[in-house]
Amino acid sequence: MKGSRIWILAVCLLLAPAYGVAQGVPGVTDTEVTIGITNPLSGPAALWGTTGVGAKAWADYINDKGGVHGRKINVILRDDGYNPSRALANLTEMKGNVFAVAALLGTAIVNTTKDFFAENKVPLITAYGDIRIWEKYPKDKLRWVFVSYPDYADEAEFLTGYAVKNLGAKKISVFYQNDDYGKMGLEGVKLAISKLPGGASLGVTIPYDVTERALATHAQKLKEGGADVLLLYTSPSHGPLILKEMAKFDYRPKVLATFTLGDPIMYKLAGADVWEGVYPATPANSGIPGDPAADKVIEILKKYDPKIVGKEYLALFGAVSMMYTVEGLKNAGRNLTPEAMINGMEMIKNWKPEGLGAPVTFGPDRRHGVNGSRLSRAEKGTHVPISDYVIYKPRF
Amino acid sequence: MDLTESYREELRLIRKPWTGAGISLVVLALLVIPWLKMDYLVYMATVVFIYAIGVQGQNILIGYTGQISFGQAGFLAIGAYTFGHASASGIPLPLGLFAAGVMAGIFGLIVGFPSLRLKGPYLAIATMGFGIAVYQILLNSEVISGGRMGLTVKKLPALFGLTQQVTFYYFTLLLALIFTLISYNTISSYAGRAFIAIRDNDIAAEAMGVNLARYKLLSFGMSSFYLGVQGALFSLLIGFLEPNLFTFMESVTIFVAVIIGGLASIGGSIMGAAFVILVPQLFGGLRELVPVIFGVAILVILIFEPHGIAGRWLKIRLYFRNWPFR
Repeated sequence: MKGSRIWILAVCLLLAPAYGVAQGVPGVTDTEVTIGITNPLSGPAALWGTTGVGAKAWADYINDKGGVHGRKINVILRDDGYNPSRALANLTEMKGNVFAVAALLGTAIVNTTKDFFAENKVPLITAYGDIRIWEKYPKDKLRWVFVSYPDYADEAEFLTGYAVKNLGAKKISVFYQNDDYGKMGLEGVKLAISKLPGGASLGVTIPYDVTERALATHAQKLKEGGADVLLLYTSPSHGPLILKEMAKFDYRPKVLATFTLGDPIMYKLAGADVWEGVYPATPANSGIPGDPAADKVIEILKKYDPKIVGKEYLALFGAVSMMYTVEGLKNAGRNLTPEAMINGMEMIKNWKPEGLGAPVTFGPDRRHGVNGSRLSRAEKGTHVPISDYVIYKPRF
Repeated sequence: MDLTESYREELRLIRKPWTGAGISLVVLALLVIPWLKMDYLVYMATVVFIYAIGVQGQNILIGYTGQISFGQAGFLAIGAYTFGHASASGIPLPLGLFAAGVMAGIFGLIVGFPSLRLKGPYLAIATMGFGIAVYQILLNSEVISGGRMGLTVKKLPALFGLTQQVTFYYFTLLLALIFTLISYNTISSYAGRAFIAIRDNDIAAEAMGVNLARYKLLSFGMSSFYLGVQGALFSLLIGFLEPNLFTFMESVTIFVAVIIGGLASIGGSIMGAAFVILVPQLFGGLRELVPVIFGVAILVILIFEPHGIAGRWLKIRLYFRNWPFR
């Protein structure tokens, strides 16, 4: 009898800490706050997983500076292989163990997992995917989401307008990825042309599929279109490919490219002779290597994770997500709860993370922190900004 | 010694009491899983149930009938989009699921026609062409694919006081059990024997009175029905559809599940489904090494156990049958 009592006592003692955790805030202890990230670290989009690596490197840097309100940031970085069901699996695994999720990546993944955050009261700090997903999202659920990502159509409208007004474009062709990303770009170009009557005409619009690699016929069609300006809404691998094919046919129009091609690594992928003189957009929510503020951050990131070398642009993108998270944590104070974090994020007003990008503002009725971009020009191995940030209307 | 004395006995699904006890235990364990309050486990098990249905269908086609197919992604997409549009039109869920299976089954019959003339790699190429064609049609037809923003699918609501996730878990478990039962019964029936006869030697099968056209098409139609239901359940799981969910890689994943699980084995199909779902997830922490581990695991299994995981499981059972008296 005495023995069984001891057993009961032992079981109660074992359960006590678990009960204590259940009563607390998931992912928060006195000394640590846990942030979850699911990214494509393997598979076809593995390169984009550098965003998560960059975010983790920045968290390590913050930890070495003492953390936030005495808490170190513990990052759980999981691989989803760019597969929506695996991303949802990762988030389900993180449930109860993470305080917030950062740097969600991929339109399909964002679309699949969007309900997770409100349902489980986990703040989502930045998501890289089609922002129109959130535009008609119910307000009560949107409360848990904070996004700073340019709208593809808004950006395309800006690029088209710039081409007409500043580059004297007469005929604009579009080469785009045959999915929602590319089609949104095309939509923006058409809208801009319709708003600029007599300014320029639409040339040929040539789509490609993600799996395609032989783009010679596409290049030939673009040449036959005879446009003096070409807009690219492609992946970072297809943009250089089409330009190389066009060069073989000696077709060299002025080229403007979406911000996903804003990484100076394009010089390596396309070759200097092809990429020199291209006008890539860069997003207002991050910086570009070569910019002093960006270079300062990149040096820190490379120190904490040398694997970032060569992928600085994406690492910087991800690090900015962690900067948002850190700012939210700072504003939330020591008494950390999901509600406090939401308030902390809503306190962000006209703030530039480490001087990068354009100012960001969140609020009770605003979850699209900044919607904007600026144009740069590929010159001597770098992308040199040639316009100020153009800020579009926040969409939610 | 398994001595079968009558045809009725041959058709029995569970022949030994301990087999029945073992299956009961497994089903009981699966019923209890949600009560452990481990959401991640519940989610992963749900995905395995969904895949197990389609992989069983493919094993009927590839493993039992010997018809190589690489068009799985196409049938999955047809099932998923049929269900998605049915759901958006307000058609009740069970009817939508059935419609998804039937639509995929009809396309399975159509794709099955070349199988009457083609064999081996030629049939594989023809079916692969179908899968790619479906993907291309979805990419280029916004009416079908739901346009730029994809197609949102309403998830199964929470029922009987359970959470949405647990409700869906039990729903998929029930369907997986039903399809497993259908698979076992089909294989034990005349149709199943006809499938096996066609696989072993189609000329001999025809000489024995098996109608080749009927049973090859039946196998294609049936396996596609399974895939259609898998596609529908997958759309219910993630609540969103876009063409890029149905690339050729999806066909490869299901094909690998059939081979790894064990050709001509229903139990193996379930184990194969578990393999392709769990291995990348369990080794997710190793990041870029995941594809390497996945590939090497497939190689190791095929080199050391050509009959797949089911073959190894059978050997383990045989080893312990008379243990320790060997």
